[in-house]
Amino acid sequence: MTQLSLSPNDIDLTDPEIFETNQAHEVFRMLRREAPVHWNAENEVMRGFWNVTKYADVIAISRNPELYISSHGITQMEPVIKNPMDEVMQGFGKMLITTDPPRHVRLRRLVNKGFTPRAVGAMEIHIRDIVTRILDDIEKKPGVDFVTEVAALLPLAVICEMMGCPRSDWNLMFDLTNKVLGGGDPEYQTDVPEAERGTVEAARQTITSGSMQMFQYWANFIQAHRKDWKDDLVGLLIEAELDGDKLNDEDILWFAFLLIVAGNETTRNAISGGMLALHENPAEKQKVLDNPALLSSTAVEEILRWTSPVAHMARVATRDTELRGQQIKEGQRVVMWYGSVNRDEDVFADPYRFDVTRAPNDHLAFGIGEHFCLGAGFARLELKVIFEELFRRFPDIHVDGDVQRLRSTFIGGIKHLPVTYTSA
Amino acid sequence: MKVTVDHDLCEGNMKCQAAAPEVFEVRDDDLAYVLVDEVPDELRTNVENAVRLCPRQAVRWQKEQK
Repeated sequence: MTQLSLSPNDIDLTDPEIFETNQAHEVFRMLRREAPVHWNAENEVMRGFWNVTKYADVIAISRNPELYISSHGITQMEPVIKNPMDEVMQGFGKMLITTDPPRHVRLRRLVNKGFTPRAVGAMEIHIRDIVTRILDDIEKKPGVDFVTEVAALLPLAVICEMMGCPRSDWNLMFDLTNKVLGGGDPEYQTDVPEAERGTVEAARQTITSGSMQMFQYWANFIQAHRKDWKDDLVGLLIEAELDGDKLNDEDILWFAFLLIVAGNETTRNAISGGMLALHENPAEKQKVLDNPALLSSTAVEEILRWTSPVAHMARVATRDTELRGQQIKEGQRVVMWYGSVNRDEDVFADPYRFDVTRAPNDHLAFGIGEHFCLGAGFARLELKVIFEELFRRFPDIHVDGDVQRLRSTFIGGIKHLPVTYTSA
Repeated sequence: MKVTVDHDLCEGNMKCQAAAPEVFEVRDDDLAYVLVDEVPDELRTNVENAVRLCPRQAVRWQKEQK
């Protein structure tokens, strides 16, 4: 493991090793203190951008979606060598998440009634059934990989059912999501010859091929739906009208792409990261075991703050502006590091302590404002139910082996987490 | 001071109602409604919290009109 230099001049947050080796929080702590709006210099692969690490600054950016737009890219990645395909592949201006107001408001209103806390709450019994099936399947085993056999399966099942994606294709959705969002990790670069894995080019190829396969799948799915309409989210999008016009296939395709990818990777990592945090803080785990009601009141929120599964989102400035005394130029990227703002000493008391009773806890794990996570209600409910059932049935569940983190600057991910347990 | 909820943005997250139940009510249509014409001084801090905490930033103070 490389020893990290802790001086702002040497920090390059495009380096996935910082995240893979779990050193990001040390870097963030230093940046908040020394250079809270920090220029990340251009390297041979990516253009420079601003690292934003303070809570108040992320709020200021998020409240101003006309000044800081999403349609020119929402990740730190702006390649030095421009390839027109990159913009196509990242869905610039096409996905809900890369659309700016006023269109964003109207597009979001086509689906948002299905995601309100009330609408989501009505699905609790069904979500508990899914969890029960998942836990039934692991009950007889002495131990499992918690990520692939527990954490991944719940959000995958929920989003796939909503979209109308048949069970036989859920594994494919899992694999393709890993390629699209975790393509920088050699484990998912299976379409690239082994000797070439781990390079920037391998990451690009993996993300491209994963995305193309995902598009192909959903293009076929939409085609079939147009012939044989069904009452699911894709069906709703086919019927939907925006300013008197139906959505075209490309709009629906990007919608499906976003919902599938965002709906399964992020919650998976909150569940896995929550399991790990509870294991590493046995006194906190005991509090939840003694009082499971903590999950609905404070513990799930603390898991979200602690894990911040979306590591960053970026915006592009539409004109010259100033942020905490730094001059942001038109066209420059600002990268909001949610893991950092959720441990900001100005906002959270004792921020490096995992505290399942923390209140208040106004974390920004879901972002805030125009692009506030559409699926937040599902994430919260899935987290609550899975830990309720898990601790009820396997109260002694604990991590038993090495944690393998995702090599990514975008998703705070855990790839593998061996656990053992006995039935209560 | 008057406070407003932008119904284009509101998604029924209930944060405003939790912060200031005397001022906001989330109804069956998943939208928050303002219950008072003017926010009384003693509820100002609570409404300030609602403005700050609304996930969609749909709750806003109405600008003074001359």
